[in-house]
Amino acid sequence: MKIGFLNYATSKTHSLLLVTIALLSPAWLTASAESRIVATTSMLADAARQLSEDFAHVNGLMAEGVDPHLYRPTRNDLVLLQRADIIFYNGMHLEGRMGDTLNRLSRRSKSVHAIAEAVFAASDREPLLEDENELDPHIWMEVNLWREAVVRMAEILADEFPQHAEVVRNNHARYDAELLLLETYAREVLTTIPQATRVLVTAHDAFGYLGEAYAIEVRGIQGISTESEAGLRDIVQLIDFIVERDIPAIFVETSVADKNVRALIEGARARGHQLIIGGELFSDAMGPRGHWTGTYIGMIDHNVSTIASALGGTVPEGGFRQWRKNR
Amino acid sequence: MEWYALDSWIVLTGALCAIACALPGTFLVLRNMSMMGDAISHAVLPGLAIAFLLSGSRSSIWMFVGAAVVGLITALATQWISHWGKVDRNASMGIVFTTLFALGLLIIVQAADHVDLDPNCVLYGALELTPLDVVAEWTWFGLLIELPRAALVLAVVASINLLIICVFYKEMKVAAFDPDLSEAQGFRAGWMHYLLMAQVAVTTVAAFEAVGSIIVVAMLIVPPATALLLSKRLGMVLFLSATLGAAAALMGHLAAIHFPPLLGFNGTSTAGMMALATGFLFVLAWLKHLMFN
Repeated sequence: MKIGFLNYATSKTHSLLLVTIALLSPAWLTASAESRIVATTSMLADAARQLSEDFAHVNGLMAEGVDPHLYRPTRNDLVLLQRADIIFYNGMHLEGRMGDTLNRLSRRSKSVHAIAEAVFAASDREPLLEDENELDPHIWMEVNLWREAVVRMAEILADEFPQHAEVVRNNHARYDAELLLLETYAREVLTTIPQATRVLVTAHDAFGYLGEAYAIEVRGIQGISTESEAGLRDIVQLIDFIVERDIPAIFVETSVADKNVRALIEGARARGHQLIIGGELFSDAMGPRGHWTGTYIGMIDHNVSTIASALGGTVPEGGFRQWRKNR
Repeated sequence: MEWYALDSWIVLTGALCAIACALPGTFLVLRNMSMMGDAISHAVLPGLAIAFLLSGSRSSIWMFVGAAVVGLITALATQWISHWGKVDRNASMGIVFTTLFALGLLIIVQAADHVDLDPNCVLYGALELTPLDVVAEWTWFGLLIELPRAALVLAVVASINLLIICVFYKEMKVAAFDPDLSEAQGFRAGWMHYLLMAQVAVTTVAAFEAVGSIIVVAMLIVPPATALLLSKRLGMVLFLSATLGAAAALMGHLAAIHFPPLLGFNGTSTAGMMALATGFLFVLAWLKHLMFN
């Protein structure tokens, strides 16, 4: 435990408060003394769980359906952060103001790691740009890039817990093999989409890396900022584009409102073009825990299969799990 | 329950925010300009956009400067429009902040559409995160003390507000209750308005940056309104509103920790609960007012 992060109640005011309000403490706070890892996004938490299986307790701060740009931590999150041995966050402005705070914290004693930033620092790949000076933080959208992130996390874990380095290496080898299969699956399935309709239209620009890696053109409806609504002209231009290219489906996201998506569908219908909602994609957060889409692999499987089947590609019956069994 | 140093800092930071806001807030409530904090929270958007365009960065220092300048413009323009345009102050506030907000949207769409300039994302701090951002640390009787930046900023703002009110107490009092008399006594009531507006602008933007918006808007209005139910003497009202605000900070934090687990949830926003606690204290004061008057 790092010194100074845990100043237990010692002064008089504190004890006074303790006496005044003696209520039950939540059970998870008094959990066992195993190694503690805290991750901001659910994708990072999932990777950390895969790697540290058997020796660490992983807490993911953001639950399903949360927009990380707007996430507001609670006091209990802060206690988790302060008690953590390692903190993983995405960085590149994904976590908004919390990212700034974690960045400042990383310059002090804690072991705090911005994984997306670490990925690009360690490889010769350049991050995509959302604008001339804004980087695209959504690196988990490309499986190969996410594998890099998992490599970085495994290195950090092995460094931080030398006594568990062997376990981490084994876990990593096993998990990376799965991710490699997932990459193959994603590429195979997405290439079955006919060239003409290989266009992904969604509510916001989270799918840049997916588009680049698997040669899919990506169109977002609104700008990156949730404050700037899509203008009428943008919507009209996008409808023109959809009708012209004869795109069969567009997609909604779990963590972004779908009002604009419905506007597109109505607009296309008025022009005599049948446009459907191809399904719900996971962009900034995964599905509920304990559910298949609540794992990184399940999330990508869901996205890839949903996109391919709605845009006229062929998806193996049963998705990634069945495809994997048949190999 | 377990009480950590971070809990003490969250409560202390919330209390400092309450004191910093309650002092100028009392004068706002007296002048029927209570929603000034809310107006500024919307009006800062063009400041963020212009600061981004000029600096090319979204770092908090630039966002703060942009927001502070526009906050000042909002406060001053409200005063000008109501004075020269003979419009009610609330209407004037509405004109200024909606115009500025629209201007901000226009700038963002025209020049920076692909950048997330949502104030929630780039400006507003989170009270719960403040203990992680430490400016200084020292050991005191074997106890490591880590001073959060937000606590320092708000302590400075609260002290300046206290100082201004101590120095100009008489002038502000007369200007708030009887502008004509204050003109006759030889000092310009207008200057007191501007001083107060500048104070409000700087206080709110600094507090937004340190702890977020909801708690600031609440602390500017509710504790002074509560205090005005309890006392009719200005000095007492100022003291009570600062004290009630600080008490609400403590109550809010405890409630945020203990309420949700009773309902099966895992913690909730402390800042929101502090705002709720100010409302709770207001209801108590109002009931007392009903029963004893």
